[in-house]
Amino acid sequence: MEGSLNVIGYGISVIGAGIGVGIVFGLGMQAIARQPEARGPLQTNIYIGFALIEALALLGFVLAFAI
Amino acid sequence: MSADTLNLAAEGGGGLFTPGGPGFEAPSVGIFFPSPWSWGDYSEALPYTSGITKYVILLLVATSLVVFFLWWTSRKLSVVPDRRQSILELVVLFVRDQISRPMIGVKGDKYLPLLVSLFLFIFAMNVMGIIPFLQLPVTSNLSYPAGLALVIYITFITVGIRSQGFTHYFKGAVVPSGAPGWILPLLVPIEILSNFIIRPATHAIRLFATMFAGHLLLATFAAGGWYMFNPAAGPLYGTISVLFSGSALLAFIIFTAFELVIMFLQAFVFTLLAALYIGQAQEAH
Repeated sequence: MEGSLNVIGYGISVIGAGIGVGIVFGLGMQAIARQPEARGPLQTNIYIGFALIEALALLGFVLAFAI
Repeated sequence: MSADTLNLAAEGGGGLFTPGGPGFEAPSVGIFFPSPWSWGDYSEALPYTSGITKYVILLLVATSLVVFFLWWTSRKLSVVPDRRQSILELVVLFVRDQISRPMIGVKGDKYLPLLVSLFLFIFAMNVMGIIPFLQLPVTSNLSYPAGLALVIYITFITVGIRSQGFTHYFKGAVVPSGAPGWILPLLVPIEILSNFIIRPATHAIRLFATMFAGHLLLATFAAGGWYMFNPAAGPLYGTISVLFSGSALLAFIIFTAFELVIMFLQAFVFTLLAALYIGQAQEAH
């Protein structure tokens, strides 16, 4: 069986990031549902949280090519 | 998409359902290392540099785009804005109300020129990746985000030393207030590592990795769609290959739109974190 172990490592590492992004957006949607008038600041913070967590997943993606 | 891949796919024999010829060559990391421009007898790059590559040319295009935008919208400034000035006010107020004021407060309005130009510059560099004929996001090479993150690193350390004094700033940065004394030998190395080494590194790598991954994804869809387009493989297989190629084209278009959103978001997050670091360095304990 051929292939690269890098990509398997990336696949395992992105499980955590997927769960994290799911939690951020899920709780964000709950918060917006509870208090729709707070949608503006909540959306800003949701996207900040998404970008920070996505950074770790993309770090794994880039390292799968670089190493 | 490199010219070599195109030539290999167009040579005789190859194709999706046609045996013979080279298989599909996915775009690799090589597309991020374009060969430098060589002129005349000087077939090597400029000494001690990587030469004038496509990155440098697109960097100049992005810079001139941002400079032209800021100059053009601020030609005639008046208290009651006309249409051009409204565009500039839209951008500046967006950065001020969403990035600068929440992170640094009203005192941070003096950093607004830095933050606005940082935001517009990063967005322009990112957008180079989806403009046709220019397709290479300048930030997909680690050196450009690293340079920007280095500027922000020096900036926030300078702001911290200036507003809090040398020892007070570094003590405040590595010793969180309210920590019991016995945990400090464990906490201080972690805080030093986190604040002064890992934060600037992830600041740069986040932007670089997102643009790298996005560009590689678009290149793979384009190269795959080009490879799968094989209408000469007979009536049945030819139709199937054209359908595959059409869906690759559709995915390319959809992901280009998605990439535009991601490019804006990454510029926003880079600027937001820069404002956060400056704000944290500035608040006096």
